[in-house]
Amino acid sequence: MSNIYKPHIAKVMDIKVETGDIKSFKFQFVDQAAQKVFTWKSGQFLILNIFGVGEAVFTFANPQTRNEFIECSIRKVGLASEAAHELEVGDTVGIRGPYGNWFPFEKWHGKNLLYVAGGVGLAALRSPIEFSLDNKKDFKNITILYGARSPMDLCYKDKFSDWEQVKDTNMILTADKGAEGWKHKVGFVPAVLKEVHPSPKDTVAIICGPPIMIKFVLKELLDLGFTPEQIITTLEMRMKCGLGKCGRCNVKHLYICKDGPVFSYAELKDLPEEY
Amino acid sequence: MAYLISKENIKVLLDALLAVKEVYAPKKDAEETVLFGKLAGSSEWHGDSLLTHTTAKDKVYLQSERFFNIKKDKDGVRIEEAEEPEEIVIFGCRPCDARGFDILNKLFNWNNYVDEYYTKRMEKTTIVSISCLKPESTCFCTSFAKGSPVDATGSDVLLTPLKNGSYLAETFTEKGKGLISNNSKLFAEAAEVDTKEKELFKTEAEAKIVKKIDLAAVKKLMEPAFESAYWDTVHLPCVKCGACTFVCPTCYCFDITEKAFDNINSERVRSWDTCMNELFTRMAGGVNPRTDTKKRFRQRFMHKFNYHVDNFKEELCTGCGRCIKACPVSIDVRKVIEGVK
Ligand code: SF4
Ligand code: FES
Repeated sequence: MSNIYKPHIAKVMDIKVETGDIKSFKFQFVDQAAQKVFTWKSGQFLILNIFGVGEAVFTFANPQTRNEFIECSIRKVGLASEAAHELEVGDTVGIRGPYGNWFPFEKWHGKNLLYVAGGVGLAALRSPIEFSLDNKKDFKNITILYGARSPMDLCYKDKFSDWEQVKDTNMILTADKGAEGWKHKVGFVPAVLKEVHPSPKDTVAIICGPPIMIKFVLKELLDLGFTPEQIITTLEMRMKCGLGKCGRCNVKHLYICKDGPVFSYAELKDLPEEY
Repeated sequence: MAYLISKENIKVLLDALLAVKEVYAPKKDAEETVLFGKLAGSSEWHGDSLLTHTTAKDKVYLQSERFFNIKKDKDGVRIEEAEEPEEIVIFGCRPCDARGFDILNKLFNWNNYVDEYYTKRMEKTTIVSISCLKPESTCFCTSFAKGSPVDATGSDVLLTPLKNGSYLAETFTEKGKGLISNNSKLFAEAAEVDTKEKELFKTEAEAKIVKKIDLAAVKKLMEPAFESAYWDTVHLPCVKCGACTFVCPTCYCFDITEKAFDNINSERVRSWDTCMNELFTRMAGGVNPRTDTKKRFRQRFMHKFNYHVDNFKEELCTGCGRCIKACPVSIDVRKVIEGVK
């Protein structure tokens, strides 16, 4: 019997400042054999232990296809994430997981993928984006529409050119407010989506961002003719155990940590808005 | 297999048990409240009252439990796991409380994840329940599929008092059989008349529980009632104290926190939490899907009689009625769920 609450001990291998309040971390288990057999799927999350402070939930930022490290992008919003921002390379943390369900890529072979992300929402989509790029032969066109308040607030700026180089991949960047030297679009993500006007034919839309953005992106997608089944998103809830036991992350009888965090809009629209 | 044990021998049994294990049984505390406490001798056992103020839940699912100690220094981080639990006996709980453990067993083993803190402790726990002769007005165990004043679900041994003062003792598990074979001198074999008397006992005791709720109908009412205006008013008297969840044999929600002693030592702790608390679902950053009492109140009842049934095919309630007695504003779970519209 192994203890489901006991984390793997890991080291901080690299830290990168993404924006004013977001940092990206690379972790590696101290036990290298355990690291080798540790697998996860895009969409799943982990529980990070900052020893002396506590635990917090983050999605895997990298896909299994790039698994030398375990990567997380952390926005400074609470006690644990503030403590995470204090971490330095070489520090020790704990990691338990993976938890939750994942993006059902095997069902999407031969389809176009449309990613729509806002702000730190891209942290939850980087793993599926890179997974699909690494398995590009299984998919048709990949479009990534990403926006933030300002160019300064965009995460993963260093990754964009690699992503774009993959055949039949298109990146559209936007900022609510532009800045000097900004050569991309200016405007809110939903408005840009409308302008880009993607066809729903053979396409799956995968969206993540602040609730208000999700709301308007959903509306645009439905207007464009996407069916609720074609729209996929990932939910955020207060979580403690990640295992369906502590009883706090439910919407109706579903536990976001166990039955989610990935849901289609078809599933969500039948749920009460208690998330 | 059924046995008989005399009233005198029950005390002898208790003393024999507590010579080798920790025994928790109803006893009076300093304020004369009857609670499950560790017995020092059989004379402390207070078997007369029907229900203890709180359940025996906290003897297996600790109110606050250290998962492990953490030591973080220049050599790295070490996690020192908690000691193995001791063998204990829970003596004299009621069938509704024993069934509460059965419900918790499923939760802590759900979804292929075994909570070993709970499970190991449960493996070392022997539960001896006593059938209820005089159900109270707040009891409604018979509303549940298995519920009854003589139900053995979750019990290792069930004692049923007989008219001549002795008890019929039935075993249901290896642990239960072990308890009797280790103390076989105190037990005699039961005769058919004794098991027949239990049937009578059952009929009589169940007849005393007048309130029976059609829980299948309640579930049906609840399904479409999430947005119902019913919740706007029914929660109003609630003062959000959480007493109801605290005394409940099945409420299991918990929090996981870390307590730091200094820069090197800390401990990871699991403690009971309550859905009636505002912070229960509040996320870092302040977003909270259940901001007001109405939502939390609705969650408590929906979880118990609707969502949990979807996941486990049984309610998250055993009908012990403790929450009815504990609530400072007399909110009655039976009325709340029957009134859903
Ligand atoms: S005991 Fe009564 S007042 Fe207290 S939280 Fe429960 S229902 Fe509300
Ligand atoms: S985080 Fe504990 S039940 Fe989902």
